[in-house]
Amino acid sequence: MSGGEYAVILVHSTSHAMHLEKLLGRRGIPCKMIPVPRQISSDCGVCIRIPRVHAGAARETVETAGIEIQKIVDV
Amino acid sequence: MGHGRSEPQSCRATELQGAGGRDGTGRGARGKEDGASGDGGGMSTIVDARGLACPQPVIRTRKALQAGGAVTTIVDSEISRQNVTRMAEKAGYRVLVERREDGIYLDIRQPETPGLPSGAPAAVAPAGGTLVLLVSSETMGRGDEPLGGILIRGFFHALGEVQPLPDIIIFLNSGVKLAAAGSPVLDDLRALAERGVAILSCGTCLGHFGLKEQCAVGEISNMYAIAETLLGAGKVVNL
Repeated sequence: MSGGEYAVILVHSTSHAMHLEKLLGRRGIPCKMIPVPRQISSDCGVCIRIPRVHAGAARETVETAGIEIQKIVDV
Repeated sequence: MGHGRSEPQSCRATELQGAGGRDGTGRGARGKEDGASGDGGGMSTIVDARGLACPQPVIRTRKALQAGGAVTTIVDSEISRQNVTRMAEKAGYRVLVERREDGIYLDIRQPETPGLPSGAPAAVAPAGGTLVLLVSSETMGRGDEPLGGILIRGFFHALGEVQPLPDIIIFLNSGVKLAAAGSPVLDDLRALAERGVAILSCGTCLGHFGLKEQCAVGEISNMYAIAETLLGAGKVVNL
């Protein structure tokens, strides 16, 4: 988690995280489920990390699918 | 010589369990077991372990080393080479590998370091203080399997960012799936391996799940090496 290369999508629950991970994977967006970084607080202990360059596409995917997320944060 | 056939399935559980009673079988099939040779610049006990199932090459090599002096072990599979080499190096020996047409020759000797006792090391155990992580399941915790899957993924991600790093990670039972192709934590494990963490997967367990050919990171090990690693560890963290 260095150099600002990534963004994380914060969600409300682990089931949201799992659902989102599958969805992003199907759209070809590289992602990884990780524990929420220490410097960020979240409702849920896990989040989805994506390369920052894919943040726009990920946001679009989230909105299209109607998934409720907390926010997307650069890390 | 007909020894060139590799034995990718040589670490099956049944063979491991029957190890104690198989000595005679292998010995009878080989003519020059435990002979002495001047090969390699000094008297060396020859252990011809070609064609023998895991963990026989390790057991025979260890016996020969405990008798003292240099040992040349001949194996015919990469798994055997790895297992014998690992055992010998952990015991403080230096291993030179020579690949010949008729087998892989492992020249195992005491390092020429002043102050070391001249006999073989009394025990095959790593130095104290080793931090070993034992992973016996593909999930973390009990209660909910999908949650356990999420937690184990999070754990291996976090492992790359916290201190101290384990020296060795051992995968057992369904835990071996984490080190096999398709594992969700493979990238994390590869990164750990690049940082010097030794990763050992139980060969019996991989065989049980039909994953012997799918081990994607680290080395395939056996219960002898695993038991030695656990018993010789400074600390074992059991997931």
